[in-house]
Amino acid sequence: MPLPAKAFQHWLHVVAPNASTADICRISGIKRTTLAQQLVRGKVAESTLVSISRALKRSPLADLASFDSYAELAGRPLPPTPAELVSQIATMDLLRAVISRSAPAYGGYGDDGSALTPALAPAPHATSVRNWVDAIDDGELRHRVSDATGVAPQNYSAQLTANRLSPELAVATARAAGVGFTGGLVATGLLTEAEAGWPPEAKQAALDALSDGELTALAGERLQALGKTLRRQEHEQEQTKKIWENLG
Amino acid sequence: MRATLEWATLLVCCAALLLRVPDAVRGRNRTVFGILFLGTLCSVLAVSELYELIDRALGGWDLTSLILRYLVFATVLLVGLRVTRGLAADRAHQLIAGGIGRWALGLGCLAVTLAFFLMDSYGSPEGLHAQAADGAGDADLAPWFTAAGRTYPAFVSLVLVAPLLAAVRSRLPRLVRAGALLVLLGAAFAVLSLPAALTPSSWAGAQHFVNYAAALGYVVGLVVFWFSGLIASPSGNARATLRRNRG
Repeated sequence: MPLPAKAFQHWLHVVAPNASTADICRISGIKRTTLAQQLVRGKVAESTLVSISRALKRSPLADLASFDSYAELAGRPLPPTPAELVSQIATMDLLRAVISRSAPAYGGYGDDGSALTPALAPAPHATSVRNWVDAIDDGELRHRVSDATGVAPQNYSAQLTANRLSPELAVATARAAGVGFTGGLVATGLLTEAEAGWPPEAKQAALDALSDGELTALAGERLQALGKTLRRQEHEQEQTKKIWENLG
Repeated sequence: MRATLEWATLLVCCAALLLRVPDAVRGRNRTVFGILFLGTLCSVLAVSELYELIDRALGGWDLTSLILRYLVFATVLLVGLRVTRGLAADRAHQLIAGGIGRWALGLGCLAVTLAFFLMDSYGSPEGLHAQAADGAGDADLAPWFTAAGRTYPAFVSLVLVAPLLAAVRSRLPRLVRAGALLVLLGAAFAVLSLPAALTPSSWAGAQHFVNYAAALGYVVGLVVFWFSGLIASPSGNARATLRRNRG
């Protein structure tokens, strides 16, 4: 559930007592109409709060935690598990790591620590939401989230496929999986890794800790999933083209 | 109510036809233009005033109503072939283009022709209905003539329902699915119009609504298909291409 407008306005008054709505919109890059609409509807999007908090050089995580519905985020957050960290590495970075560990004859450096490969791209990546849920899923997670939130499993799956997840569901998923609350917020792109309090080298360290077998199997899974997505899209484009050729 | 429906359908058909003129001149998808042309012709004959005008020119013995049925059959046949081809529904295409489809078309034509000559009556369809109300002559065959005229369209529409439903439920671009939904509605109404023809004449309003809703669904659906292709940019619908994963 988005943040109640009343609590949001109270928060805004506390953190920026002298700023006008116009100032807030200018520094945070939010359209005035967007903010006005959210206030009128009585529901302010979490991303709005994060943008403003960021612009005011505050901690978005702490600000989010100051609202009742996100009170769980307060305090020292549980650090992300290695599986969660690896899930936030882009598929192409995983493949690069595979090559980088291979023999120089195949373009690799043969190094274990991948010290010479370029830095990992920041989260989120193109399939970060689904990969995150897969990383923390014990097989029953989706059912537990669905039971706890009342969101139908197929709606939940549709969000994952679209690489989206509402912050509320992201937190509910983390709660149901018993992991730290920041993982989902990073995977959905609401918070950056730094804002979530993840150490800057955490992802690289988790990647380096993977054995060659683990890394290769994981990269293979990702590649297979990507191939499936691409093939489905190609098939859909083919279908669409055929419709337009015959009926357009 | 009836006049409004008749003229509205004609107007929509004419608009759709005019929209497709530039493409037809360029030689692109002339079949769809042909479908819309036949559809417009049908809707011209479906307007009572225009019908009487044309029928008088043809001798005034209701031959026009028979011609109208044949035109509807031709339109529906073309729509069926094109839609099944476009949706890559090979089995449905085979049903319409193959032996079963030809038998259905032949029987449909035979049924309307037989019903028409059995009716052996003069005057416009309105006249027929008036006679039916009086209970005079063979006019109680009129609903059967109407029903016979809807058998083949109902058959084709029934075949189209499954592939259209699949297209609506697919993850194709939204406008394409909207077009499929409209054609699906048209098909559903076309199927319904067959039993509707045999309902008591006090239900005339509903009968006409079903009939014209079917025509409008098909025509507007085709326009939406065309429009979706028109505004589609080549880079559209690319959510997870390799380029995005290059990170």
